[in-house]
Amino acid sequence: MEIDEITTAVRQGLIPAYLYNDAEVHELERSRLFGRSWNFLAHESEIAEPNDYVVRNIGDDSFLVTRDSDGQVHVMFNMCVHRGMQVCRAERGSARTFRCPYHAWTYKNDGQLAGLPFHADAYGGDAGFIKEGQALLDAPSVAVRNGMIFASLDPDSPDFEYWLGDFAFYLDFYTGQSAAGMEFRGPQRWRVEANWKIGAENFMGDSYHTPHTHASVVDIELFGEPRPYKRKEGVLWHAGPGGGTTYKLPAGSEFRSGLAYVGYPDEMIDAMEAKLSPAQRALAAEPGFMPSASTLFPNLSFVHNWPQTDADGRITPFISVRLWQPVGPGETEVYSWFCVAADAPDDYKAASYKAYLMCFGSSGMFEQDDVENWVSITTMARGSMARNLLLNNRMGLTLDGDPIVDQFERFGGPGTAYQGFGEHNQRHWFSMWADFVSQPAPAHEPLAFGMGEQPE
Amino acid sequence: MQSGDPLPYTDARHQSAAQFLTEEAHLLDTSDFEGWLELMAPEIRYRMPVRVTAVKAADEAEVQTMHHFDEDWYSLQKRVQRFGTDYAWTEDPQSRIRHHVSNVRTFAGDGDELRVESAVLLYRSRGDRTAPSLLSAGRTDVLVPTTDGLRLRSRDIEIDESVLRTQNLAIFL
Repeated sequence: MEIDEITTAVRQGLIPAYLYNDAEVHELERSRLFGRSWNFLAHESEIAEPNDYVVRNIGDDSFLVTRDSDGQVHVMFNMCVHRGMQVCRAERGSARTFRCPYHAWTYKNDGQLAGLPFHADAYGGDAGFIKEGQALLDAPSVAVRNGMIFASLDPDSPDFEYWLGDFAFYLDFYTGQSAAGMEFRGPQRWRVEANWKIGAENFMGDSYHTPHTHASVVDIELFGEPRPYKRKEGVLWHAGPGGGTTYKLPAGSEFRSGLAYVGYPDEMIDAMEAKLSPAQRALAAEPGFMPSASTLFPNLSFVHNWPQTDADGRITPFISVRLWQPVGPGETEVYSWFCVAADAPDDYKAASYKAYLMCFGSSGMFEQDDVENWVSITTMARGSMARNLLLNNRMGLTLDGDPIVDQFERFGGPGTAYQGFGEHNQRHWFSMWADFVSQPAPAHEPLAFGMGEQPE
Repeated sequence: MQSGDPLPYTDARHQSAAQFLTEEAHLLDTSDFEGWLELMAPEIRYRMPVRVTAVKAADEAEVQTMHHFDEDWYSLQKRVQRFGTDYAWTEDPQSRIRHHVSNVRTFAGDGDELRVESAVLLYRSRGDRTAPSLLSAGRTDVLVPTTDGLRLRSRDIEIDESVLRTQNLAIFL
């Protein structure tokens, strides 16, 4: 199919099945989508101390995310500008400088070139190479929100806050719970033979899979909410470049009772009450909804659940943030972090961490069954039949394209909200996908390094 | 980590520890998870920290704040129960798995505890379309004798990958 035919189809809620495993589509996504989108790299708590660093990818591009000796955060392309070696080959640590293993060019942790061997002998000093002011390439655009560090490969990317729009309202439920900030732990990393889009779409709005895919966790009384009737009462919302699912809180819920219902202790509810706006707090008040899974386009997802974490019936919520990093058309690297308010009580942190490990991540009992499905979809998408099949992503619409139920007006959050099952959010995700892959990749002027101009 | 030299192979304690590990692997390879759970002491701690690629000097190849597994009896029991339901899709159809256990070294621990190091290579084959996966790990166990035989008090698993190449950990190591 031509790209115009593909984007027309997905906007109608029809997905060419082969999009889940196709080299040309993958290449379009690499250049047009990930070449321009805002991508999550790391949380500031992962580089809490001066000189801390982590190495993270956007697609195939490796970036060094550092906190320099003065405490400033930097995101730099992890390629030695001399001959292209990966400068830092560890994935985390603490360093004031990074020395390229090839020819020993050395960079400070703010990216500045600190030295190169035999500058005078090899280059004739500044006559051949002006050392002063040279540096690793900065990521073209960088933004920080709730301590979360994002970067874009496009120097002309839209302002991050403008791009984030009304998704910010919901983001705070996951990573804006306390004025003390959040603590990200991990990530666990593992590779699955599944296309990256499937996880992103699933977390964005697939409440329909929960009762069946995750029946086992209800069966063993780990988590009661995924029961079909409970899932059906939830609201699906999309706002700005993201969307998510919610669970309905018990009738008559208020902000505090809603949070207590899912297991937050009083001191954390106090912190959230102080941090969140009245409008945000109203989300949990009658009719009362609690955010569950969500996705920020393109590939950053969040999950908030509240399983039973001990034999005495303690209910404890947890938050996980995860990245679906494309490795190839049919392979994804999952980065999964546990996330908790930095000032949460220690016994809460321990129970919440346990809740996370039991439910999500590499060994999580929810995640195990999800991935099995996604690998299977990706395998099936590789063949010839899949090239002629348009999968149905139209749940919640009549054949004429009208919503089967009206928007849910009593929902407390911004954006578009429907109660019950539907693929409204997945269609919204795919309409953004179509926006990106139908536009040419941003044009970049080649940069000739060390030829007398300062790299921008 | 261990105290003193490993017990000689002829020592009955080493032999009982090695047999314990072999029998344990047999239970896992034949999906007798309930039988496997019975080998756990009530105070079981079963941990597998995330490993990272770090520079040699940093000495932080494991991240102790994040694990693939950090289990107690309650969570292990839930995992076992789940495999017993009709809806644990990830293992229905089941993987073909084999635990290859080797390099067993037994040390006398505190009191009558035994500290046992071993290597495990887990071969896992799923379905007929995806390539099989391998997980290699070192394990340090604390075994404690009871009237019913040895029981596992703790297991610390050192996984030999920073990025796992298996679709999930619906397995035990």
